[in-house]
Amino acid sequence: MSGHDHAHAPRRVGFWRWIWLAAMIGAAVLAFYARGISVEAVPLGQTIWGVFAPVPPAVILPSEPAWAGLYLIPGLVPFTNTMASATIVLVLIALFIFLVVQPAVRGNDLVPPSGFGGGLYHLFEMGVEWLWNTAEAAAGHKWAPRIFPFTATIFLLVLFINLFGLVPIHETWGYTKRAHGTIPGYQMIAVGPAQFIDGRSASEPDEELHAIEEKYAAAGEEIPSKALYYHEAAPCPHCEVVPTLRRASTDLSFTLALALITVIMVQVFGVWSLGIGYFTKFFNLSTIIDKPFFGVIDFIVSLIELISEFAKILSLTLRLFGNMFAGGLLLTIIGSLTVFFVPGLFVGLEIAIGAIQAYVFSALALTFMSQATVSHHGDGH
Amino acid sequence: METEAAIQLARFIGAGLAAIGVAGAGAGIGTVVGGAVQAMSRNPDFTGTIQTNMILGIAFAESTAIFALAIAFIILFV
Repeated sequence: MSGHDHAHAPRRVGFWRWIWLAAMIGAAVLAFYARGISVEAVPLGQTIWGVFAPVPPAVILPSEPAWAGLYLIPGLVPFTNTMASATIVLVLIALFIFLVVQPAVRGNDLVPPSGFGGGLYHLFEMGVEWLWNTAEAAAGHKWAPRIFPFTATIFLLVLFINLFGLVPIHETWGYTKRAHGTIPGYQMIAVGPAQFIDGRSASEPDEELHAIEEKYAAAGEEIPSKALYYHEAAPCPHCEVVPTLRRASTDLSFTLALALITVIMVQVFGVWSLGIGYFTKFFNLSTIIDKPFFGVIDFIVSLIELISEFAKILSLTLRLFGNMFAGGLLLTIIGSLTVFFVPGLFVGLEIAIGAIQAYVFSALALTFMSQATVSHHGDGH
Repeated sequence: METEAAIQLARFIGAGLAAIGVAGAGAGIGTVVGGAVQAMSRNPDFTGTIQTNMILGIAFAESTAIFALAIAFIILFV
């Protein structure tokens, strides 16, 4: 179709928009009734179009081992599901760099290759350029090239991790374990080679398991082996699903590690820029001889700086963790209330929040690092 | 059994109290966005810069709410 035709024939959107409107309203209505249909009209173990009754989420704050077998090895630091997800994301980033970015950069053409890879490269270049501009505006010519690798890495890693967590099978596929003594468990239902859990098969809390848990709790002991929860039989009678992959940013360990790296690098950049005198920011005794009264105030202010450095770790950790965990919880709760269409809207929201939080983390790291390179007296080296 | 029920009750009440902290972030984000919209309407050329700073400001204001939420989560699920 040429531009000439386009100028003469007005675009025919007038009709299709009504179709779209009807489809959206229909989907919204269906979304609220589909649960009722799938719950009541179908015997347990069968489904309409493979739609099972949704299951309310079993919310677990710490990450869990990625495979059931890892429960059985005592004393092993387990390979957790968040680590598994992060590893896959790292492999994806490496593939992206080596298959898409590297050839386009190495080709040294002014115009990168066309097609899907070329388009991806353009997108990547646009993002990097935007990040670079923000880094240069905040840190200046001298320090931006040194700070940029850290902030860009943080942005790329957190962005990929946050978005990878929204891939459909992620966080819903895993192994079963016996549900804790106080929450309802579900039956496994085999459909072909795969096993599903159905929201209608909820059974009462497992009294026997609860009694064992109580016994350990009364004695004030840790439950010795997680093997207590590991269920070997194939049709699991009273179980919950432990995801094999879980979004890494919903694990406090990941966000804490990232925040620690950031704050340690802030100190490194401070010492790099201002020498050992950087630490007078935290123990400011420089003015205490000349002006005893204001010197004491300066010292107290510098101690507050020291405390705020630890507050940075806490706030960076909890901001990313809280946003992502709340997002995942929102998705599972919405997914347990309605079957389809409505969760899709919230996934769209989560894509935006994941990208914004990745940007916020890297922008805060950039701000802290570029602040550390500038002397707080304002004479600016 | 009764102490367990009491602990559960205290958990729910505590999580609800912790979630009150979210209210402050609402006011904070409102202030940030209000200021940003005023700045943008006075100076439309700087919309991009203002928006970037606005998102950062929102993230700061929101962080208190996220702390409250994280504490509520920890009370409920740990």
